[in-house]
Amino acid sequence: MIPHQDYKTEADRHDAMEQILRQHRHSPDALIEVLHFAQENYGYLPRELLGRLAEQLKLPPSLVYGVASFYHGFRLEPRGRHHCTVCTGTSCHIKGGTALLAELERRFGISCGETAPDGSFSLDSVRCLGVCDLAPLAVLDDDIISAETIDALADKVCQCLAEKSSTGKSP
Amino acid sequence: MVNLTIDDKQVTAPKNATIYDAAKLNGIKIPILCHDSKLKPFGACRMCLVEVEQMKGRQIPACTTPITEGMIIRTATPDIIKARKMVLELLLLNHPIDCPVCDKAGDCDLQNLTYEYEVNANRFADAKFNHVIDYNNPLIERDMNRCVLCGKCARICDEIVSFGALTFMDRGIETKIACEFEAPLNCEFCGSCVSVCPVGSLLARPFKFKARFWALTNQKTVCSYCGTGCNLTLGVKDNKVLTTVYDENQGFHKGQLCCRGRFGYQFINSERRLTTPLVRKNGTLVETTWDEAIEVIAAKMKTAGASTAALATPRITNEELILFKELMETVGSNNYDHSAGYAHAALTKGFVQSLGVAASPASILDVQKTDLLLVIKTDTYETHPVVGFEINMAVKNKEVKLNILSDKRGKLSKLPNAKTLIHVPGTEIAVINALAKVIVDEKLADGTAASVPGFAELEKALAAFTPDAVAAQCGLTAADIKQLATDYAKAEKALILFPVGLPYPGHNEDLASALANLAILTGKLGKEGCGVLCMAEKNNSQGAVDMGFYSTAGMDAGKIIDGCASGSVKTLFIAGENPVVSYPDHTKIAAALDKVDFLVVADLFMTETAAMADVVLPACSFAEKEGTFTSVDRRVQHIKPAIRKIGQCRSDFEIFGALITKLGGKPSATPAKTFEAISSSVAGYAGMSYASLGETGAYAAVSVKPSFVVPKTMSLASESGKLALVTGSALYHSGTMSQYGEGPMYVCPEGYVELSRNDASKMKIAENDLVIVTSSKGSIKLKAKISMRMPQGVLFAPYHFSETSINRICSGAPVTWVSLSK
Repeated sequence: MIPHQDYKTEADRHDAMEQILRQHRHSPDALIEVLHFAQENYGYLPRELLGRLAEQLKLPPSLVYGVASFYHGFRLEPRGRHHCTVCTGTSCHIKGGTALLAELERRFGISCGETAPDGSFSLDSVRCLGVCDLAPLAVLDDDIISAETIDALADKVCQCLAEKSSTGKSP
Repeated sequence: MVNLTIDDKQVTAPKNATIYDAAKLNGIKIPILCHDSKLKPFGACRMCLVEVEQMKGRQIPACTTPITEGMIIRTATPDIIKARKMVLELLLLNHPIDCPVCDKAGDCDLQNLTYEYEVNANRFADAKFNHVIDYNNPLIERDMNRCVLCGKCARICDEIVSFGALTFMDRGIETKIACEFEAPLNCEFCGSCVSVCPVGSLLARPFKFKARFWALTNQKTVCSYCGTGCNLTLGVKDNKVLTTVYDENQGFHKGQLCCRGRFGYQFINSERRLTTPLVRKNGTLVETTWDEAIEVIAAKMKTAGASTAALATPRITNEELILFKELMETVGSNNYDHSAGYAHAALTKGFVQSLGVAASPASILDVQKTDLLLVIKTDTYETHPVVGFEINMAVKNKEVKLNILSDKRGKLSKLPNAKTLIHVPGTEIAVINALAKVIVDEKLADGTAASVPGFAELEKALAAFTPDAVAAQCGLTAADIKQLATDYAKAEKALILFPVGLPYPGHNEDLASALANLAILTGKLGKEGCGVLCMAEKNNSQGAVDMGFYSTAGMDAGKIIDGCASGSVKTLFIAGENPVVSYPDHTKIAAALDKVDFLVVADLFMTETAAMADVVLPACSFAEKEGTFTSVDRRVQHIKPAIRKIGQCRSDFEIFGALITKLGGKPSATPAKTFEAISSSVAGYAGMSYASLGETGAYAAVSVKPSFVVPKTMSLASESGKLALVTGSALYHSGTMSQYGEGPMYVCPEGYVELSRNDASKMKIAENDLVIVTSSKGSIKLKAKISMRMPQGVLFAPYHFSETSINRICSGAPVTWVSLSK
């Protein structure tokens, strides 16, 4: 894999895709690697891109879509500019992870898996993040946010989001 | 062979068999939903669970478990039956159980198993599926609520059709079969998915609400479209063919069919069928009796005598062709031909000169037995789709190398590791000669080649075809040519395929000889998986050649048409051909047929040719008569009537018989009698009879006497600023007859012209724009289709369509130079 880069333009992204396809010699076996890279590159898997990849990897478009829809890790819709993942694994669940998710859904007016209409924020959940000692917890972009109570945690998420939005920092 | 015990019965089975195969082979039935003999084992449905003594305590899926020596298997213990019942309960949990309105009822594996295992209640409860049903597609209805996720449709589409239209989407309880982005189906519409669906999820829409499955009578026959000779089962009720029925054990293709074979049967009972004889009185065709019609025709033929001529379609049976020849002999004429003369020249001239026989020294079965396939034109897939499936399987399962020499890309180019060499249209013979040159120069020829007659002449003639010289004119590189020649020569087994037919005027005797030279040079003849397969267009094209229904002493098709125009042909009898649409140079053909004194046409429909006739006779379709068809690889197959004759229709056999009788001759009384005569007179048919042909048919032997022939290359004067138009076959059509089949017409209703993306953007042409294609012969308006497969400067158009007949602008040259305007 080429290390993650901050691609600026569509042309850059396109070139990066071409490069990764060449690296894998356009082999159909490399589909999952290529999809991972494409998601990193574009943030999600756009339709036209899947069609193009199918053509280049000599795979039927249906199969490429089938694989992309099978793994929950692949996104077929764009995420918000900021993204929050709530852990609902066993430890977090006991400590109120599910309630945290419900609280965030209430505060942002979107349900889990959705993106705010203005594209500023999206929310989803995950089974376990493997940092059970911090339970309950949420991850906003790349920052882990933890707190004693659900309300405090939800406040922290909102505050962090406000800071990020005001500085205009992209994840 | 492996010895094992199934249900206390000692049995043997081949080493690579699974438990399911072994049981089936020995007459023990294991219930299953996700298995088809053509597909790879999958293990999705869990219905085939069995117990194996050696694997105690587990229930083993029979369809994915290979057998081992001494295995002791029980297929129906109480535990197994309990487990299967639960599988059914789980399958029925989300299934709508709407059998009363489901078209699959009676033929449904899930319904039959539920009945057999007495699953009359369900211990589980869950919501039913709520997927949107696709009623919009005219051929394939998709109701995923009934789906049991056996995956057969997705697998057949991938493994055999190699299209991959359907696949599993999402996961877990949400899994369903769909196209990408849940889009509508946009595929080859071969209906393979429909044929293997064990439930009512995928249905043939043309058959919807036509009949219950158990009300149908199944009639086995042979498809009457292309020369592959696929076996077909027709579902008949009330003298109507209502559907085609899938039978996984039928034919070499195991029930696989293409769009026209599966969905193109409606012409048989079409409302548009002619049902009474018609005779022209005062300029219009009016109904008449058979007696009058026969009388008029016999009188005209008698007066015309040697200036009578005949054109037949290679869709009629061998027996009818023989009788037609007899009729011509009775009137003292030997002017008869088929397929415009040039479409059979590869066999009747090319192979006759090169191989001493007018038949292909290879069979379709060789496709999967070879190491390397050399396919001339990707159209091979379009003209003979079921042979195309064989190629798919050979490449994907047997790792057969695929090399394609074509003027455009196509479906076959998409196969894994397929090598496509795109040459300038019309230069194929030069390229093939260059391959021969490389083989000779690089000492890759077989040891016996030098002793074959004509070697010295060929070697001399090839001097001009050095790879460098040929590469320059045909748009390939010399390295490509050398590589292809080396690959072909070095492969242990190699098979050459090329289509011939009305839309391929360039695929003539010279192409056949050029290809035969390659096979003879490298000794790839007369061995399994080797040879050259000339794929003739129509269901009985090879039969028409075998029966000798082409000019040897008299006029050929071209001369007959000229004769009509000049007056040297007084009476022309056309049986089933539609030259006005299908022969090149429409204007010339129409003028000639207009000019001829007396024109008789026997056909199923009022074709453009029939509309010009003085007498029109209503003929029978293949489903109403008895006889034999010979496929491209000389498989002779017997057909029997599936329905009674429609209206006053008579088979061509009866028509020719009546005329011979009227003219004082003695025709043979039945097709069976005629076939006896065929088997005693036609080389290779010896010993055949209707009884011995049975359901599977028999191969007529082909014995080859090779000699080298120097093929002529075409001289192609390209016209600057013009585009090269090549004609061909569309995937969904065969000849002009498929225009009367609903399926093909739903999918591909009209003519079109395909062009490259570059040409389109240069000329600002968008998809489906109407464009005017102009040649020196005239111009026609066609819809534009923009595709990735066309090279720049090359156009492709299919020839099947009456209204937009490409033959209005083509004159029978391999390449027509045209200009394009909006």
